[in-house]
Amino acid sequence: MSQIQAQSPVVHPVRLRSQRQRMWHTFLSNRPAIVGLVLVIIVILAAVFADNWFIALPRGEDPTPLITTFDPLKQDARNRLAEPDAEHIMGLDSYGRDTWARILYGARVSLAVGLGSVLLGGVLGTFVGTLAGYIGGKTENIIMRAVDVLMAFPSLIMGLMVLAVLGAGLSKMILAIGIVLSPTFARVAHGATLTIKENDFVNAAIAVGANRMRILRVHILPNILGELIVLGSIWTATAIRVEANLSFIGLGVSPPTPAWGSMIRDGTQHLGYAPWVSIFPGVAILITVLGFNLLGDGLRDVLDPRLQQ
Amino acid sequence: MLSKKTTLIVIVLLAVLALIAAQCGSATPQTVTVVETVTVIETVEVVKEVEGKTVTVVETVEVVKEVEKEVVVTATPEPKEKVVLRYADKAADLGTMDPHFAAATNDRNLADMIFNGLLRYKPGDGSEIEPDLAEAMPEQEIVDGKQVWTFHLRRGVLCHPSDEVPAYELTSEDVVYSLQKSANPDRSAYAGEYDGMTVEAVDPYTVKITLDNPISPVLFFPKVSDYAGGFIVCKKAIEAMGDEGFKTHPVGTGPFMFESYSAQDKVMLTANENYFRGRPQLDGVEYRYMPELNSRELGLLSGELDVINGAAEGVWVERMNQKEGIRVDVYGVGEVATIHFNTSVEPLDNKLVRQAIAYALDRDEFLALFGEPVAANVYSQVPAQFLAGGLTKKEVDDLGLEYALDRDKAKALLAEAGYPDGFSLKMISSERESYLKNYQSMQAQLAEVGIDIEIEVVDHSSMHKLIRQDVNPIVIYVAWRPNADVYLTRFYHADSIVVTATKPDTNFSHYTGIDDLIEAARIELDADKQVEMWKQAQIQLLDEMISYPLQYQNQVTARNINVDFGHELKSVLALYPQITENTRITK
Repeated sequence: MSQIQAQSPVVHPVRLRSQRQRMWHTFLSNRPAIVGLVLVIIVILAAVFADNWFIALPRGEDPTPLITTFDPLKQDARNRLAEPDAEHIMGLDSYGRDTWARILYGARVSLAVGLGSVLLGGVLGTFVGTLAGYIGGKTENIIMRAVDVLMAFPSLIMGLMVLAVLGAGLSKMILAIGIVLSPTFARVAHGATLTIKENDFVNAAIAVGANRMRILRVHILPNILGELIVLGSIWTATAIRVEANLSFIGLGVSPPTPAWGSMIRDGTQHLGYAPWVSIFPGVAILITVLGFNLLGDGLRDVLDPRLQQ
Repeated sequence: MLSKKTTLIVIVLLAVLALIAAQCGSATPQTVTVVETVTVIETVEVVKEVEGKTVTVVETVEVVKEVEKEVVVTATPEPKEKVVLRYADKAADLGTMDPHFAAATNDRNLADMIFNGLLRYKPGDGSEIEPDLAEAMPEQEIVDGKQVWTFHLRRGVLCHPSDEVPAYELTSEDVVYSLQKSANPDRSAYAGEYDGMTVEAVDPYTVKITLDNPISPVLFFPKVSDYAGGFIVCKKAIEAMGDEGFKTHPVGTGPFMFESYSAQDKVMLTANENYFRGRPQLDGVEYRYMPELNSRELGLLSGELDVINGAAEGVWVERMNQKEGIRVDVYGVGEVATIHFNTSVEPLDNKLVRQAIAYALDRDEFLALFGEPVAANVYSQVPAQFLAGGLTKKEVDDLGLEYALDRDKAKALLAEAGYPDGFSLKMISSERESYLKNYQSMQAQLAEVGIDIEIEVVDHSSMHKLIRQDVNPIVIYVAWRPNADVYLTRFYHADSIVVTATKPDTNFSHYTGIDDLIEAARIELDADKQVEMWKQAQIQLLDEMISYPLQYQNQVTARNINVDFGHELKSVLALYPQITENTRITK
């Protein structure tokens, strides 16, 4: 059995090392991908260091703002809609809250939803897709037709439908968008599994009596992981966009938690005289979505086996 | 092939024909000089011989002259352009046009244009009531302990024609039918207002209304005025089309008649040529549904709309007033926002907790979210600025019931009540700004004293449904009621408690402590004593901190300066600038 595993292209140590070096070289020579990576890192840093939760929470204290000095929930209605100035670099919103502070904290919601839903959708879709692809027959037909039905709905409509059943809230939104994304992962995983399962090392594993789950876990999944990571990075951008859309129409996190989509919505009524309330969160979404898309494109160049060929 | 000469002739002929056609078909008016023969009177000096002497006398004579005159002519007379006022409201769609179910502002607006009452609130000034379908204000008499009001109807008032019924004269039969419909809970949302009322037709133009319990004119007149159940519907039309059909094809006697309805788009009204106050100056009204403020604003600025429902924002008012050709009207009646505490649940059943919350709140902070002149603070449940029976700031101040911001005192009261670390509450809010702003401001302010509030935002109609199921420990409600009795009865009488009362309404606090005062004031005929009882009731509400009055929110509409509503805008119960027969668009 160990000999058969050694034939698998994934676990060959010499080939891996050279392949990894080539991947890094390809990635680092792709300037848009580097820009994407930098943007994503900036957003992640902003989300992580918006306050000192990593120090305060272990001590049982309330976190205090770190990057900004303002509390994103603190209202100052008497100065609402104040223009950007040296103190409030992105101005105040319609409740007199600091827009910059809310954008920083809003990044947490966007990243939580973006990464959480992709992880959920990825795990769910990959499991269903690989299972259907490997088992084949009627099971495959039933699963993939169900996936087709789910894919027929536009992502926003699908998200709306799920949230209409579950109700609003952060965890429910992650679940809703995860369900929305899962058919895409299922289809990609299914196609990749169909290709991989015909390889000799899979047949050899079957011949020595490996069970289905082991074959899926040890021989098929590692070989389709590259494609799924590429898909995940690109769909993170989509998930963030869908989250912003859902928050915009009022199905996002409950107030006063800042979320970029709901921040834009709050500002639409004041666009004529306080455009900063909507524009800055819009720019934040633009930067984040652009970052993940560029990063995803770069990863695809590196990890997609078809492009490698 | 045509010869060059023939081609030239054809071209010249075509050109001449084109010129003639252009002249004949042109709709552009032209000024031409014509010679007219006119007879004018002139003074002339005539030499006459009088008694042998030659004298000159001045006489007037008629002279026929030819004069040149400039006249404007058009080859074909231009058809007169219809003058239709285009109004855009923030509502997404029509609810109902049955005036006895119209509760949403946009539905009330349409009812106001289509229907009349026996009496009416003076256009643009809701503080005055005057005769409408009635010839004069009614007289009252007490017969066998019952109060009888007699109305004499105007003659010649015509119900609008409809597909089913042609126009016909409104008589006492229609009035009796209409008020009986208002009193029927299956056919009206305002049936409770008409309990103990008997309506009968004495003759075709006389209606007698008998009340089992006498009430003051202040309480009686709103029941028969042009608002809610007081609107008079036309019996034959509603019987012909049924209650359901009537909701989308209303027939009344007002200055405008229903023409068409396009879902989520608009309602078209046309001028009632036979309106008893004279034909409206407008040919019609286009009432559009446009929930997006930016769309309404752009429509007004581009000239595609004449009047729009604006934002309840001081800064918006200021900005729009700076636009050329645009004026913003800010007027009453102000809908009052009040925080109601559910006294039947922990920890709000504790008076100290409720008072702590009151001391933790800053009215001016709430007010700043709307800005003046759109909103102003109120200090009692009945707004003293609009209605008799309300308490002024000075009055509550003198009584020590203002609950001015004092968060240290709030924390001390919470500690005394056994909640030194505060507590948590969950509640829902409407998505509408007038609600959500107040809820979010309250959330932020109470967080300062350790009270953690979790808010779930739902759509407006869901909020109304859910708060009536008692899901909120604290309810913020924004409403206008026509008098102190209605305010106090619907929000604080035991019969109005949500869910559990026999006639559940909007008593969200579950309070029953002022029932006696409400009932005594209702049958008090001395106006001063009545007002005093209403004030006493509210003093008790404030002392017990059953509810915390916040602010009234005025109505805001923007218009093209060419629009003249035909009345001064002070306060309108229908919550729009009121479009009447006198409204016009000047070019």
